[in-house]
Amino acid sequence: MKLPVAMLGVLSATASAEPLRLRADALATTEAPAGLLVLEADGQARENVSAEAVVWMAGAEDDSDGDVLVIAVRANALSGRANARLGRFVSTLGALRAAHVDGGAFRVRLPQRFDLEAVAGIPVMPGLGTSRSWDWLAGGRVSRQLGDSGSVGVAYAQRRDVGMLVTEEVGIDAGVEITKRDDVGARAAYDVANPGIAEVMLTASHRGKSLRSEAYAIHREASHLLPATSLFSVIGDVPSQRAGAVFTWRAAPRLDLIADTGARKIDDDYGVELVGRARLRLDDRGTSMLGGEVRRSGVADDEWTGLRGTARVALGRGFTASTELELVIPDVDRGRGRVWPWALGAVSWECEDWQAAIAAEVSASPEYTGRFDVLGQLARRWGRK
Amino acid sequence: MRRWIIVCACLGLAACAGILGFKSKSTDRFPHRAHVVKGISCTRCHGDVGKPGTKVHIPEEATCVVSGCHDKPQPVSAEAVARIIEAQQYLKFDHSRHLTKANNNCMRCHAGVGDSDADIRPPMATCFKCHESAQRGRKCDACHTSLVEEGTLPATHLAHDGDWMREHGARASSSGDLCETCHKESFCASCHGVNVPALPAQRRFSDPFRPSVHRAGFVARHSLEARSDPGACSTCHQPEMCTSCHTSKGVANNVRGNPHPAGWVGLSNADNRHGREARRDPASCAACHGGAGESLCVSCHAVGGVGGNPHPPGWSSNQPLSAMPCRMCHPSGAVR
Repeated sequence: MKLPVAMLGVLSATASAEPLRLRADALATTEAPAGLLVLEADGQARENVSAEAVVWMAGAEDDSDGDVLVIAVRANALSGRANARLGRFVSTLGALRAAHVDGGAFRVRLPQRFDLEAVAGIPVMPGLGTSRSWDWLAGGRVSRQLGDSGSVGVAYAQRRDVGMLVTEEVGIDAGVEITKRDDVGARAAYDVANPGIAEVMLTASHRGKSLRSEAYAIHREASHLLPATSLFSVIGDVPSQRAGAVFTWRAAPRLDLIADTGARKIDDDYGVELVGRARLRLDDRGTSMLGGEVRRSGVADDEWTGLRGTARVALGRGFTASTELELVIPDVDRGRGRVWPWALGAVSWECEDWQAAIAAEVSASPEYTGRFDVLGQLARRWGRK
Repeated sequence: MRRWIIVCACLGLAACAGILGFKSKSTDRFPHRAHVVKGISCTRCHGDVGKPGTKVHIPEEATCVVSGCHDKPQPVSAEAVARIIEAQQYLKFDHSRHLTKANNNCMRCHAGVGDSDADIRPPMATCFKCHESAQRGRKCDACHTSLVEEGTLPATHLAHDGDWMREHGARASSSGDLCETCHKESFCASCHGVNVPALPAQRRFSDPFRPSVHRAGFVARHSLEARSDPGACSTCHQPEMCTSCHTSKGVANNVRGNPHPAGWVGLSNADNRHGREARRDPASCAACHGGAGESLCVSCHAVGGVGGNPHPPGWSSNQPLSAMPCRMCHPSGAVR
């Protein structure tokens, strides 16, 4: 805890000087009751060296906690051919799952449009005092660029907890812009520890003048996403699949209509995924906006129907009123109530570098028949350009 | 009566057209093309564009009259002016530095000004003809002061429309470096960080349009969503997260009794549901029975136990029998 606090002290002392930027967010809720303070800072020491940190502290009635979410230094070669990160960050290696690590990573652009990236470190465990020996993660990815913004790559990563193999995966990813309006993306991860496909995702989209359409398919085997040390990874699993298409139509300059039509399959059970959504901007920038959504989702006994309404209206002088209403109607209530409503009403204010919001949240769920909560937020920014 | 209905309908349609954003284009944009066609030089109106520090130049309204061309100023819509002011606010640009290098030829960048009155701001590709290419540098802040506050999204296939929450996983896997041009480390960590204190939608509760998979009453419906999409939760979360939350809320560790229905564990396959359900979503079982709780399974499924072999036909593993979890059932290293 000493390191981030010291770093924040340095940052806040020079918060008003460019290019350092600092943001502080304080949140409070009455139901728990609980409070949360999040401090974010980022800055550029030199043209090719930047740093970023996010730390938080939370307190409840009889408990308090704090942790470092991100604290990383990034250096770029001035030619743009290499960059490196050091500290706590989220590592992404192509098709492999994102990992939160304390360590280092680098990326080098090689000749013939090849890229090499590697990461090594200790997987982050929640809590500042948590530490275990012989925990590490290492992996790498080799990729080749295709066109202006596409690439194809192969990645490998291995993770160990207390010396035991937890994850060993190989992934293949590809993203290609076929034409200016058509592109495809795909990723597949293969579990090497318990051989089998862990996850496959495919997506293809077409952008017309006012209509964007996307087809997608997902195949997932849940046991391969568990740590290899888990007993539940050895029972084999039933793959689940989901496929469908999403259409986003700009019906009018300020009106978007979105439809998601899909199907799910788990074992012998089939289900549909139908979503209809509308978004109406009340001004050209979308400062004020209305939204509505109808959803039919789930499989077998877990199917449900949902309705949602959202609104955000700029009141002037930096004030904005917003509301969000949701109604969930499960097909099988299991004695937990036929309807699960949720509603939130909020007023926010933004002026220069200050931001404040207060909201009331009301809900009923399978867990409780009624709940009322008041949420408050105060944020301040320093050093914004 | 019919006339009134028609009048009301027309008024209603006009109002709807305004709300939906339909508008006449006649006054939306300045008629640049008409001026170019008449051979009027750019600097006749934009005379001050060469002054150092000039970002985007808007002539004074009086220029139209003072120049002796018009009796009154040319009308320009408030939206067009707002776009120019936005560019002044969010773009780092100095016309004076570019004029010299372009030999005072405005058309070198504003090539489309003679073709139409559409937005004459040059596309980014025009900048890259002279400046460092997007592939090599990708430094957005070389020109943009803040992409987040500007609200600018890439105009390519990566525009974040559709169901981006679901789509981003496939896209980011092959274009992670492209994501980094706009998003900082904290952006990924705000969802994928294992010690994240509150998700973005919870921290920005006053913005109901902020995309999130954990929107609104997610706490109430998360069990339905988890069972309908096995493994989806574990793509980001560790199973321990379920356990810790369920324990603190009192819905696990037998605080509220057995959550399983009758017939969950029976003596024969006919009255035995837990095997099928466990294969269908093992992460759900691991959420409560992971770690030390696994001994519950091993009490029946150990080698020689009444539960028999839990592996499906054709199952294999590269793990040695001495490693966890194999040694829980195969303590002697024997394979039955």
